Amino acid sequence: MLTRRNFLQSGAAAALATRLFAAKEGSAAPNPELENLGAAALREAQKLKASYADIRIIRYRQQFLTVRLNPERGTGKTLEVPMVSDGGSFGFGVRVIAEGAWGFAASPLVTPAEIARMTGEAVAVARANAALRSRSLELAPVPAYRVRWQTPHERDPFEVPLEEKLDLIRSAAAEVKKEKGVFAAGCTLSFRSEDKYFASTAGSSIQQLNLQTYAQVNATAVDLKRALSKTRRYQPQQVTAGYEYVPVMNLVENAQRIREEVIEHLNAPSISPGKKDLVLLPSHLWLTIHESIGHSTELDRALGYEANFAGTSFLTTDKMGKQRVGSDIMNVWGDRTTERGLATTGYDDDGVKATKFPIIEKGIFKHYQTIRDQAHLIGEQESRGCCYADNWASVPFQRMPNVWLEPGKPDTNLEDLISGVDDGILIDGDGSFSIDQQRYNFQFGGDAFWAIKGGKKQGMVSRVAYQSRTTDFWQACDSIAGPSYWQQWGAPNDGKGEPEQINSVSHGCSPARFRQVNVIQTD
Amino acid sequence: MLTKEQARKLTEKALSFSTFPECEISVNSSENAFIRFALNDVTTSGFTVEQSMSISSIHDGQTGSTRVDEFDDDSLREAVKRTERLALISPPNPERVPPLDPQKYPEIENYADSTAAARNHAMIPHIRAIVEAARTNGLVAAGFFERAAETAAVANKQGNFGYGRVTDANLSATVRNSTGSSSGWASHPAVNIENIDGAAVARTAVDKCLRWKEPQRLDPGKYTVVLEPTATGDLLQLLGYSLQARAAEEGRSFLSKKGGGTLVGEKLFPEFVTLRSDPFNRLYSVMPWSGGGGGFGRGGGGGGSGLPAERMTWIENGVVKNLFYDRYWAAKAGQRPTPFPNRLVLDGGGKSISDLIASVDRGLLVTRFWYIRVVNPQTAQATGLTRDGVFLIEQGKVTAPVVNFRFNESPVEMLKNTIAIGQPVRVRGGEGQGMLAPPLVVKEFSFTSVSDAV
Repeated sequence: MLTRRNFLQSGAAAALATRLFAAKEGSAAPNPELENLGAAALREAQKLKASYADIRIIRYRQQFLTVRLNPERGTGKTLEVPMVSDGGSFGFGVRVIAEGAWGFAASPLVTPAEIARMTGEAVAVARANAALRSRSLELAPVPAYRVRWQTPHERDPFEVPLEEKLDLIRSAAAEVKKEKGVFAAGCTLSFRSEDKYFASTAGSSIQQLNLQTYAQVNATAVDLKRALSKTRRYQPQQVTAGYEYVPVMNLVENAQRIREEVIEHLNAPSISPGKKDLVLLPSHLWLTIHESIGHSTELDRALGYEANFAGTSFLTTDKMGKQRVGSDIMNVWGDRTTERGLATTGYDDDGVKATKFPIIEKGIFKHYQTIRDQAHLIGEQESRGCCYADNWASVPFQRMPNVWLEPGKPDTNLEDLISGVDDGILIDGDGSFSIDQQRYNFQFGGDAFWAIKGGKKQGMVSRVAYQSRTTDFWQACDSIAGPSYWQQWGAPNDGKGEPEQINSVSHGCSPARFRQVNVIQTD
Repeated sequence: MLTKEQARKLTEKALSFSTFPECEISVNSSENAFIRFALNDVTTSGFTVEQSMSISSIHDGQTGSTRVDEFDDDSLREAVKRTERLALISPPNPERVPPLDPQKYPEIENYADSTAAARNHAMIPHIRAIVEAARTNGLVAAGFFERAAETAAVANKQGNFGYGRVTDANLSATVRNSTGSSSGWASHPAVNIENIDGAAVARTAVDKCLRWKEPQRLDPGKYTVVLEPTATGDLLQLLGYSLQARAAEEGRSFLSKKGGGTLVGEKLFPEFVTLRSDPFNRLYSVMPWSGGGGGFGRGGGGGGSGLPAERMTWIENGVVKNLFYDRYWAAKAGQRPTPFPNRLVLDGGGKSISDLIASVDRGLLVTRFWYIRVVNPQTAQATGLTRDGVFLIEQGKVTAPVVNFRFNESPVEMLKNTIAIGQPVRVRGGEGQGMLAPPLVVKEFSFTSVSDAV
């Protein structure tokens, strides 16, 4: 049984994480206590003849508030069902290279003795694996940093009174439920913080605070006579930011809009399938970028490291610098420095400073997302800073940075995109999504769909999904709206790896138009 | 990991800090070891120790919850206090059910010491068998071997206490040819790691890869398919989420009747379709309470209703027999609460997959599915793709490899269109927890486009 009290000489354990990660005024260096704990791992690893070691000591906090308004069974009376939770997690993971193989071990007991013990376990894991190794590991060079970094924010969401948050989500949900035809409504606010300390035998000592803020408003409409239900959702942009971003989300104002749109969705005519032009809003297009471009340009996939789970990629290494993926107007960046991007941070879990690099230039595939032990495999000299683990107990590996599509010319607006469509669909929000294990064939739904006829936006339609092939789809992109339309949506739960890990990532874009895509009618 | 006595003392300690009439606790501790391999080489590997406690405090329906992984007295006291502070701020939950009285939990511990003790040295020989089989054939192997051991407990202020411990292990491998134009896959989940045979996994994956060479393109459309057990499980495991009484009564489910009511009691499926939940099956590792997880995944041990685990029949001889009632909805509907529809078993017959293939005049043999997502929750329609081996069947024989397809199909329609059923085995595909699934012959399975992915 694990209790930190068995190991600690003094002090309440619950206070330890708070003390370790507290910001010291006037100092840009990491907390000295964290540095001492980190040094315990590095010292032990070197004693055990590991050629490399790093440690991450992490404290997570997660606050989740939701309220759901739904009819009571039998009476139809509206019930307000709340849920409030505030939890956390604290522990460390040690990664080593010994005898040319990786090893990893993790524990929730953040004490010098346990850190030394688990460093020994990590070395034992590496040595056992060395028996099967056929090639040696090589880490791209990285400068040593001694630094603190935090998500720019004005108001720590965990310091904001819960009453203020509850008032907001109750108002937004109530706003949706004002319409009699709305069957159920809900609103959620959630916040996540990651206090992370990283130290490595490459000489780095890095303390960071990553803060994420999320919200959602949703509505359900039901027609019992037809046994039919439809939903509509307002998903504000998910961000790395503090509570100052919450008022910007305009939850109550948007609740009024989706209240009307869910009723329209319930009664919307079904789409007639066939080839159609699509105008995709950023709230929808982010996911198509994520699945078709974000994942296909991950180097671990291209090399075969993900072959047993997430899959490989149609963009094999021989295609780097040559393969046409999209039309000439398609420019895509990998970027962990984007303001408010979910993957934005100071330094990655290899200790590499966040960077920005071109993935696709004028439609041609240019660069992969990489980490330190991959760069040499494609003849590159440095990592592109894409290393991340979703937990102190998870092994860091290559994860997606923010991958964003450059906007079109400043004078191109959304109306221009729509006016050029004779028979098409405008899609807002994400829906169902599926793509094959090499990222060729995909199918996407959406949250809401409007017909476009003769260059004009019409009423809502329903039961829409589109299918395409990644390169066909992006080569059919003939117009992208200007920078004033550029927005980034994303997800906190992108899955990859075994054991599966999640990643938070944003995909900025402006509305874009795609010609003659295959639209199907779903159930 | 926590023993029963340690768990009892720990939960008692946490409950002693409670000042509210109700406090519910679930606690779990786990040890996992895992090895990933790719390009015929080990890539990442680890050994992790984790523990966590979920606490909810309730006063007149006002509820606050937290999760902690620090178990010293000060941390637990602070955590319980935090839940009480949260509860006092939160509006009362009108759907709150009363706390459970002390329950009698069944003895269904499914725990193998060999699994709990296994570390890299015990796992490496199986990976070596796969890598060597791949190399011998000029192929490239990737895969994952993991084992988990977990203990968990549930407790509340009314004196309820339950404890369980489980182990689970799974070895999966993907074998591809050097040009990336062919791929085969196999996996073997088992509670006892000693039952896992790396050489057998290697044989299946290598054989699939060698046979799926230069596949031909067929047009999308409706096909008769023979689904291998993993393919059946990949799609059918989704059905559990569609069996909720609440959604059915509220008009949001395929089991909703037009005009109101549900389709319980109606024969929607062929006579030979019987779908059950069976937490007592020794092939599964599961905690002795309903909704309790077990095996892989963080913090899977707690949660659920806390009611004793029990067998349930959802579909019997083609008739919808039961729906999932959580404790709140059951009380409202005057029904008995049921366990959540997981640990699914689709009963089968004695036929082998060869028998099923021999019964098909023209169709497709599907190894497994991938990236399955629900398109319409109301009808359970899902989309996804075939992966790691699709083969044409002509006049009862497998004749040629076929390029992958995307499907748009629901597990409901799949069961309605099932015309033959084989022997169930435990399967665990690429996504989800898997189930006990038989191979099936299904007519008119809907493939909507071709995928060039390998």
